[in-house]
Amino acid sequence: MIGRLFCCHENLDFETGNDTMAISQQHNEAMASQSEQFHETRIIDVVGLGKVFDQNGQSLTVMERVNFHAYEGEFVSIIGPSGCGKSTLLNIIAGLDDQTEGSLKLRGEEASDRLGTVGYMQQKDLLLPWRSVLDNAIFGLELQGVSKREARDRASALMEQFGLDGFESEYPSALSGGMRQRVAFLRTVLADQQMFLLDEPFGALDALNRSQIHEWLLGLWERLNKTIVMVTHDVDEAIFLSDRVYVMSARPGTMRLVANVDLPRPRYLEMVTSEGFVELKTELLSAIRRESAS
Amino acid sequence: MSIVNRPGVCESYAFPNWLRTLITVGLRWLPAVLIVVAVVGFWEAYVRIFDVQKWLLPAPSVIAKTIGVDAGLLWGHTLATIEEIVVGFALALVCGFALATAIGLSRTIERALYPFIIASQTIPIIVIAPMLLIWVGYGLAPKVIVVALICFFPIVVNMVDGLKSVDSDVVSLMRTLGANRWAIFLKLQVPTSLPYLFSGLRIAIAFSVIGAVIGEWVGSSEGLGYLMIRSKPQFLTERVFAAIVILSALGVSLFAMVGIVERFALPWWHKEHGSRT
Repeated sequence: MIGRLFCCHENLDFETGNDTMAISQQHNEAMASQSEQFHETRIIDVVGLGKVFDQNGQSLTVMERVNFHAYEGEFVSIIGPSGCGKSTLLNIIAGLDDQTEGSLKLRGEEASDRLGTVGYMQQKDLLLPWRSVLDNAIFGLELQGVSKREARDRASALMEQFGLDGFESEYPSALSGGMRQRVAFLRTVLADQQMFLLDEPFGALDALNRSQIHEWLLGLWERLNKTIVMVTHDVDEAIFLSDRVYVMSARPGTMRLVANVDLPRPRYLEMVTSEGFVELKTELLSAIRRESAS
Repeated sequence: MSIVNRPGVCESYAFPNWLRTLITVGLRWLPAVLIVVAVVGFWEAYVRIFDVQKWLLPAPSVIAKTIGVDAGLLWGHTLATIEEIVVGFALALVCGFALATAIGLSRTIERALYPFIIASQTIPIIVIAPMLLIWVGYGLAPKVIVVALICFFPIVVNMVDGLKSVDSDVVSLMRTLGANRWAIFLKLQVPTSLPYLFSGLRIAIAFSVIGAVIGEWVGSSEGLGYLMIRSKPQFLTERVFAAIVILSALGVSLFAMVGIVERFALPWWHKEHGSRT
């Protein structure tokens, strides 16, 4: 069995960082080098997080007792039924919203002014139509106070890697969906934050574009050495990309399961048909189905 | 490469580029030209067949002749009217932009000022115009104020709508990239509002011609509006019509000029949505 499932709603301390690492190393030698780069530091550490919205005098519990963490340099995915509070969790980690209970630590510290330190990419590319591709890419740097000339130099150097060579002066309206998403990626990467939150970043792309961008993203992530937390509906996508996959319950959302994905890296598209992959996928799907049904 | 060797090549490839452009533009405006030709033709025929008196309804040919004969006179008055429009429109643009910015930045200012901005449009301009003569005297000032009063409203309303029509997801994105309130205003709200502003400017520039004429009617010594009001009692109806023709041409030209400025100011909008003029 290639994946390891943990039940995480019954015992808060069941899954510690050390357990996870031990299992990874024990299972797969190829994972060892990957594990080292995690440094075993919880860059994001969420304990007992809850969020209650006040709607017209009625309180709506979107999520409760959420335990979640990500190690430095790790790729973590969160899957779950619609409306389970996945996006709320990302909003809170990014600093756009605050929790009503529980604690959130970034790099081991309570981060009350974390807004601006966590990169956040949404499903929509959110490119500004009046800015050229190059100027959209430097938007984050510009907001951080980097001079336009320096920002453009830095962006130009990455254009080829992002497959945007020759499109620098085009407006976003002239680009395909996949290219627009890559510009949004470049904008996120250039802003140079330590962790990225991706909220269904490939939801708007067709299957072909998706699988291409998956491989490309993995290549990029391996070079960048950043922590990525991705929310998605797509189990294949979650398994293919991630080191660990969390499954969230229906509202009020909480973490039901966490699975280690012990597929070796670098990963290739062909792996999605491998026995281990399919086995893990089946288990995750049945877990999600239970959540959707309840 | 020879044209003959390329099957399916359109015949217009034989024309030089400038001629092709001319033909394309010509075809685009053909419907408008046809309507003008039809109306003018019908009008001319009606006047000639029923022998309508010149002071009652002058034929288009008579109006055209008047424009030629009175060219010097008309030109002087046209310049005066253009001056009022340009200064008044510029004033409206500056004040409108400033007001819209203030409203866009502050809810309090919006609640304080918006009712008065709307109220200002319910007072008939024809009532305010004579008062302006008493308050600021004859000359350029009262006409400019009338033009500005008429023009600033569509500018403010459209721009405020534009400033508010930002995508809240982009605001979130900007905040996660470290943007403050001011950066969101300058780098998101203002650029978003510009196409709206230009829609306001199109309406305003069309109104501005009416504003200038009203300003002149109430009290003036020059301008096309003044010329009309002076020519009517003299039964120089063809001169009134000549002034109307020039005012229309002026309105269309100014409208087109806003479109051209927009084309250069918002090239991205143009590429996305195509030409609007």
